[in-house]
Amino acid sequence: MKKKTVSSSVVRFEHVSKKYGSVRALDDVSFEINAGEIVGFLGPNGAGKTTTMRILAGFFAPSRGKVWIRGIDLFRHPQKAKRSLGYLPEAVRLYPDMRVAEFLRYVARLKDVPRKSRNIHVQGKMALCGLTDVGHRLIGRLSKGYRQRVGIAQALLGDPDVLILDEPTSGLDPKQIAEIRALIRTLGKERAVILSTHILPEVSMVCSRVVMINQGKIFASGTVKELESCLKDRQEISVRVKGRVYRQGAIDLLKGLPGIEALRMREEPGEELWFIFEIAREEDPRAQITQLFVQQNIPLVEIQRVKLTLEDIFLHLLQEGRFARRPS
Amino acid sequence: MKKIFVIAQKEFSSCFHSWLGVLVGTLFFILTGVFFMILVLSYAKISMNPQQFGLSSLAGVNQTQFVFGSFFTNCSLLVLFFVPLLTMRSFAEEQRQETLELLFTYPLSDFEIVAGKHLGLVWFFELLLLPLLGYLAVFHWLGGEFDWGPVLSGFLGFWLLGLAYLAVGVFISSLTRSPVVSALGTLSVLLIFWIFDWVETISDGPWARVFAALSPLKHFRDFTMGILDVQNVVYFAFFFLYFLFLALASIETRNWKH
Ligand SMILES: Nc1ncnc2c1ncn2[C@@H]1O[C@H](COP(=O)(O)OP(=O)(O)O)[C@@H](O)[C@H]1O
Ligand SMILES: [Mg+2]
Repeated sequence: MKKKTVSSSVVRFEHVSKKYGSVRALDDVSFEINAGEIVGFLGPNGAGKTTTMRILAGFFAPSRGKVWIRGIDLFRHPQKAKRSLGYLPEAVRLYPDMRVAEFLRYVARLKDVPRKSRNIHVQGKMALCGLTDVGHRLIGRLSKGYRQRVGIAQALLGDPDVLILDEPTSGLDPKQIAEIRALIRTLGKERAVILSTHILPEVSMVCSRVVMINQGKIFASGTVKELESCLKDRQEISVRVKGRVYRQGAIDLLKGLPGIEALRMREEPGEELWFIFEIAREEDPRAQITQLFVQQNIPLVEIQRVKLTLEDIFLHLLQEGRFARRPS
Repeated sequence: MKKIFVIAQKEFSSCFHSWLGVLVGTLFFILTGVFFMILVLSYAKISMNPQQFGLSSLAGVNQTQFVFGSFFTNCSLLVLFFVPLLTMRSFAEEQRQETLELLFTYPLSDFEIVAGKHLGLVWFFELLLLPLLGYLAVFHWLGGEFDWGPVLSGFLGFWLLGLAYLAVGVFISSLTRSPVVSALGTLSVLLIFWIFDWVETISDGPWARVFAALSPLKHFRDFTMGILDVQNVVYFAFFFLYFLFLALASIETRNWKH
């Protein structure tokens, strides 16, 4: 085996694919994560986030591709590689019949925390996650917010370099969400944190970098600033037409315009159609469109011009299930 | 490897977290006690009045054989029903509660997980065996005499039989996410193995010999008669390892199907 690059990345996915039977959940996914980064995996439900997190945590092997954790092949030397990983599953499930401190001590032993420092180590993580007062309680009797904290505490045991958090705030109330986000920001200072979410504001609040994923593919990645700046030169134009009979005519006309992308159509009640597309910032095709539509006798009712935001991309993604452009 | 013990300790102590473990333990204790008393009492009755039972004297009846041989045979029937209750939670409960996901992401091998689960149950089973030693003491105290050989080999056989049944149960438990299905499935498989033992009594073709060779009870019976045959020990070792590795294969399937 040839030695893999001496990159500084803590986590490295190489052409990873995963199939469940005939369902392709991940399709040739590659990315890298460095120490000190909080990376957000953003995507709608069914995008493949949980599948990515599970592979990264070593729960199951990918159908294809390789995963490196600090230069160690996760699926060739799983035990060694897993020492650097802490994982919080989506909607974490813990043994309901164990007590919080008892469970954490059990996990600490499984994670090779040395016997001498084990108690102090466990107490430290309990304090960090605000669990000191519930150490003797049965996990099954805890509220959802507290169970989530136990989940984070067990991930932190053994001080892993990589923390994997699958939808860490889902199902919590606003106060708990704020607390968990604050905790994640603190944790991200020393280690690499990968969290998945379908909530966009969470990414801009917590993460230093975002990877957007849909239908098993990464379609955009970069810092929140980078993504926004690459959108700055894009704009979205919406054209409203009255009369469904003009549908094909309008599509043909718009397709004929230079530089338009991601053309889509939405039907409105009352015989009205919206055509929406994207185009470079410098262009202003509104006058041209008006002229063309009038020439063809297509009743044009309205033209709108909007600057695209990160939120917009994400909303399109959610509505359409696809996204045409690939910011680099 | 030391993590096998960590897992085993947790499995063992979780046997006491549920009513089931305590109930199974208590019932086993009571039922074996009743068996033992009945056997001792009926032996006492025969020995006081052998002629009445068609025996000219007691010389022909081996006390150890009479009490302990039948005792272990009865116990073997008892574990047939108790083992499915002990193993039903092992993997099935974790699959139902989805708690395995975390376990698989800790730095330990699948083998350590499976072996630990087995070991924890083996410890619990051994705990159930402890009272049997108590019966032995009581018997001795009452003035009963016995040969150590057959008693110890009976214990060994019963222990091996229990381990073999536990391995079947843990494997079946790994196939399902329902403890009830696990218990019923294990019971069915153990009953099928039990029937293997009868085949030789109804036919004696080559197939009958194969079934007999595979039957755990047939190998177990030698132990209760005080016969220590290495072949029987090897048989149980293979039986145990075979089902242990089936369980291992079963939990590894998460890598290719889910
Ligand atoms: N255990 C499974 N068996 C079959 N298909 C699955 C399984 N888990 C996920 N999938 C499918 O794989 C795709 C990705 O799922 P997932 O990774 O859970 O997405 P996300 O976490 O982003 O919502 C979905 O289409 C989902 O239906
Ligand atoms: Mg998910």
